[in-house]
Amino acid sequence: MTRERRRNFFKGMAFISPWIIGFAVFTAIPIGLSFYYSFCDYSLTRPSRGPLWIGLENYNQMIHDVIFWKSLGNTLYYASMALPAGMLVSLGLALMLNTNIRGQTIYRTIIFLPSLVPTIASAMIWLWLFNPSEGLLDFLLNKAHIPSPDWLGERLAMASLAMMSVWSVGNTVIIYLAGLQDVPRELLEAAEIDGAGPFRRLIAVTIPVLTPVIFFNLIMAIIGTFSILTVPYIMTQGGPDKATYFYTMFNYDEAFRFLHMGYAAALAWVQLAITLLLTGIAFLTARKWVHYG
Amino acid sequence: MKPLAPPRKPRHPFAAVGLHLGLLFVCAGYMLPVIWMVSTSLKTAAQTQESPPRFIPHPWQPENYVDIFRHPTFHAVLYTRNTLIVAILTVAGTTLSSAVVAYGFARIEFPGRGVLFAIMLATIMIPFPVTMVSVFRVFRWMDVHTARWLGPDNLFQMLGTFKPLWLPAWFGSAFNIFLLRQFFMVLPKELSEAARIDGCSELAIFWRIVLPLAKPALAVVALFSFLGVWNDFLGPLVYIQRPEQYTLALGLAAFQTRIGGTPWHLLMAASALVCLPTLILFFLAQRTFIEGIATTGGK
Amino acid sequence: MRIIKRIVYALLAVAAAIFLILGSVQNRSVAPPGFTIVEYWEKWNDPEAAQMKVIVDDFNRTIGQQKKIFVHFLSVSDIDQKTLISISAGVPPDVAGTWDTQIAQYAALGAVEPLDDMARRHGITEDYYLPVFWRGCSYNGHLYALVSTPGTIALLYNKQIYQECAQQLRAAGLDPDRPPRTLDEFDRYSDILSQRDSSGLIQRAAYVPLQSWYIPEIVYWFGGDVFDPATGRLMLDSPKMIRAYQWIQSYAKKLGPRALMDFKNGLGNFDSPENPFLTGKIVMDQQGPWMYNYIAHLKPEFSEVKVPISRQWELKDRTTNVAWGVAPFPTDVPGLSDVSYNGFDALMIPSGARHPAEAFEFMAFVNRQDEAEKLNILHCKNIQLRQVSDSFYEKHPNPYIRVFQDLAKSPNAKCCPVCPIWPEVFQSLVDTAQQVSLEPIDPAQALHQTQQRMQGEYDRFERLLERRQQLGLD
Repeated sequence: MTRERRRNFFKGMAFISPWIIGFAVFTAIPIGLSFYYSFCDYSLTRPSRGPLWIGLENYNQMIHDVIFWKSLGNTLYYASMALPAGMLVSLGLALMLNTNIRGQTIYRTIIFLPSLVPTIASAMIWLWLFNPSEGLLDFLLNKAHIPSPDWLGERLAMASLAMMSVWSVGNTVIIYLAGLQDVPRELLEAAEIDGAGPFRRLIAVTIPVLTPVIFFNLIMAIIGTFSILTVPYIMTQGGPDKATYFYTMFNYDEAFRFLHMGYAAALAWVQLAITLLLTGIAFLTARKWVHYG
Repeated sequence: MKPLAPPRKPRHPFAAVGLHLGLLFVCAGYMLPVIWMVSTSLKTAAQTQESPPRFIPHPWQPENYVDIFRHPTFHAVLYTRNTLIVAILTVAGTTLSSAVVAYGFARIEFPGRGVLFAIMLATIMIPFPVTMVSVFRVFRWMDVHTARWLGPDNLFQMLGTFKPLWLPAWFGSAFNIFLLRQFFMVLPKELSEAARIDGCSELAIFWRIVLPLAKPALAVVALFSFLGVWNDFLGPLVYIQRPEQYTLALGLAAFQTRIGGTPWHLLMAASALVCLPTLILFFLAQRTFIEGIATTGGK
Repeated sequence: MRIIKRIVYALLAVAAAIFLILGSVQNRSVAPPGFTIVEYWEKWNDPEAAQMKVIVDDFNRTIGQQKKIFVHFLSVSDIDQKTLISISAGVPPDVAGTWDTQIAQYAALGAVEPLDDMARRHGITEDYYLPVFWRGCSYNGHLYALVSTPGTIALLYNKQIYQECAQQLRAAGLDPDRPPRTLDEFDRYSDILSQRDSSGLIQRAAYVPLQSWYIPEIVYWFGGDVFDPATGRLMLDSPKMIRAYQWIQSYAKKLGPRALMDFKNGLGNFDSPENPFLTGKIVMDQQGPWMYNYIAHLKPEFSEVKVPISRQWELKDRTTNVAWGVAPFPTDVPGLSDVSYNGFDALMIPSGARHPAEAFEFMAFVNRQDEAEKLNILHCKNIQLRQVSDSFYEKHPNPYIRVFQDLAKSPNAKCCPVCPIWPEVFQSLVDTAQQVSLEPIDPAQALHQTQQRMQGEYDRFERLLERRQQLGLD
């Protein structure tokens, strides 16, 4: 290494040293431990009751566990509804909010507001809204003489929860709004001069420029879908008949109610693998549709 | 830095009206649950259960908001203080450390930079459950060993204090490092080069030149991390056991009882109060938010 | 706008400063110096928490002063999780007030300390408690918990609605002036007492098995059991369990699964004026003695047929003053009577507690006859002790207290299955009950699947425990 390279190396490492230390202590070691625990039987009660090595037993049990497949299926089913809905709605809202109309700030604040409501409160509020006899939604539907669906019944519960997730897209909208600021004015004006209407401009200019942001939001949404826990826990407790039993709830129950931390660690690793798989697929297809610069 | 493209005014008046109508419709839907929350927060306990439901309680009970502060188990002032402590320490830590690390990744070319950055990006994808229990064990290990040298209840004790919640923030947060790195990379290299030629140390360049230019991005990092801490529920659930250390999110959860005697009106009043600071913050900082992310956005 | 922003920022900063400084304001009862502080975490909110606090104050004033112990009472939500996490963090409370359903699990996993020696020294032995409660507190031959407040479960029925439907009941050969005595009779009462409206929606359901808090324990009233510790076999697909679940399914069939779920989802919360039993939406329920307190709080008229509650002691027979009745929940087995499920709130000493001896002093105090009677009168529950004074029955607000206590004394009193994986078994049985209520699946088949899964879990648990013991890792 040349003297300058070496100097830069030390300078660089000095600056990123906080992250390296943090990574070692709060990420690498815990991940390693967690990986080790996934091959153990471990109950995390008395500190002196340590982990017991059992090899692949946890993973083997997972494959034969009906509830593992059910919760995984539930989560993927939810994702198949919430992801497209969320992406479309947030993009649509961002486009609407990007126009210079009066009250822009207020509209934006209102759309962002649901993301600020504490999770407990929103779960309770929506539980209320979905309530068959006292709830607002059924009340309004009855007034309009529309038969009210069984919102939290085992067939519709997931869809209702997906609907609820669309309610909190505020964060994603803000990021889209920021991305929209970057759409070069010259390109839009050039397109307009060429006779392109607003819709054509959208498809030909805005969206292609926006693809990196769309990609970023997609990745974040995939990761987010797999972390949903508090809301269904409060609203449905995973029922009825495990219809809304998400993967994270299963992980949580196994860890903290049934005290199988080793099994829970294995479950967490499978979750990581699936997340990596999905984001990997996203990255691979990205080359086809994401345009940088 | 690229000049920002200002949003365009729609051409047709019909388009404007249509947009307004569309947005009003959507906003009504988005506000409905929030309005319900405020409405419930002004009801008496009996009114919260009545059917058919009513929006405007009559008579109303604004004393709920005062009762929150006198509630025997929801200690509003205490929980707010706890949440503020954690929030301020976390925000300061995140902003500072993420800026430092991002600077290293963005403005210094050193061997191994790419690999380390890729690893850092990968850590964003790690879900909380994977490390939750193990981080807990790491803290416990640290506690046991510091207790051995310094006795129990020493300054370095992690579990049973707020430290597990804010200490990791001082070592950089991958998401924020990513954000700031994108921003720093956009700044012209000539600035740093000129300063280096003049004999400035890297740290001086960072502190005096780059950081002031990064104010919007830093504001975004600060705001997003504040929002994250304010409403964080899982972290405090795992690391805080003593009720006198509860944060607001945990305190709200304590309103729920197992057999369903939840005082909805009080819970909603408390929730409304909890939302308020973040709402005000967002409203005031909106422009900074969007501009700040804009120049870093997804490149 | 800028000035406004600056002012707001300044105000926020000032507010933040005030909060940080004012911070540790809390009416925390200060312990006298030199006293050992016993941290006691309890699950209850008010009013039960305030009632328990009376006992805590009694202790602090008397024995606490003598032995220099101060009990610090804390109301903690999600107590089971919080306790576990604190145990593994090495900072547990000295006394944890959780549930009987966790004793076996905690004991088997080394989360709580055995209490045999301390109990013996305080004179708390097997003949101090009723057998059913002693069984519930023990695991593997050792004592791991004490009872704070017990709760015997019986049939709670609405006398008023019985009288309203008197004609129809008599026409079917049933007596509206008494509750059903067998499960068969119970079903016939249910058929008559349930009501639908013109569009087929359920207006009143006589009984909803899925509403019960004791779904898996239903097998006790069919003469069966859930778990045999001697053989380590779960009995989830035994003929009696299958019969019990067929019974659960029959109610779903009778009312219609869709209609039933709609009805169930629309029921109000237990601790609210919309309590299903109090609003007459449900006519019969499985409940404990505490129901009296909830009725007095939520719908006092229901207990004031003749005179106001405050004057109820003037009556010779207080049961005539209440529009509700209590009787042993009927069984499916001829000749089997007085079956009850006896749950309780448990006090345990977590592993690694700093002051176990002092903690037990407090736990023993709570179980001293006079204090236990006082607490259970306040909480309106029955009592876990063999020896009970007459004044307990006389002063107890629930007119049916003798019914509950007799059930607890009966040889057919059952407690929580002493199974170390009970939380999972409980959950799986609840899930199965939901399953058979929603789908036309054969209960035998569903239970067989559940049995296989749970037995596998249990066998695994035993096997790993053995391996741990061999390696000295437990």
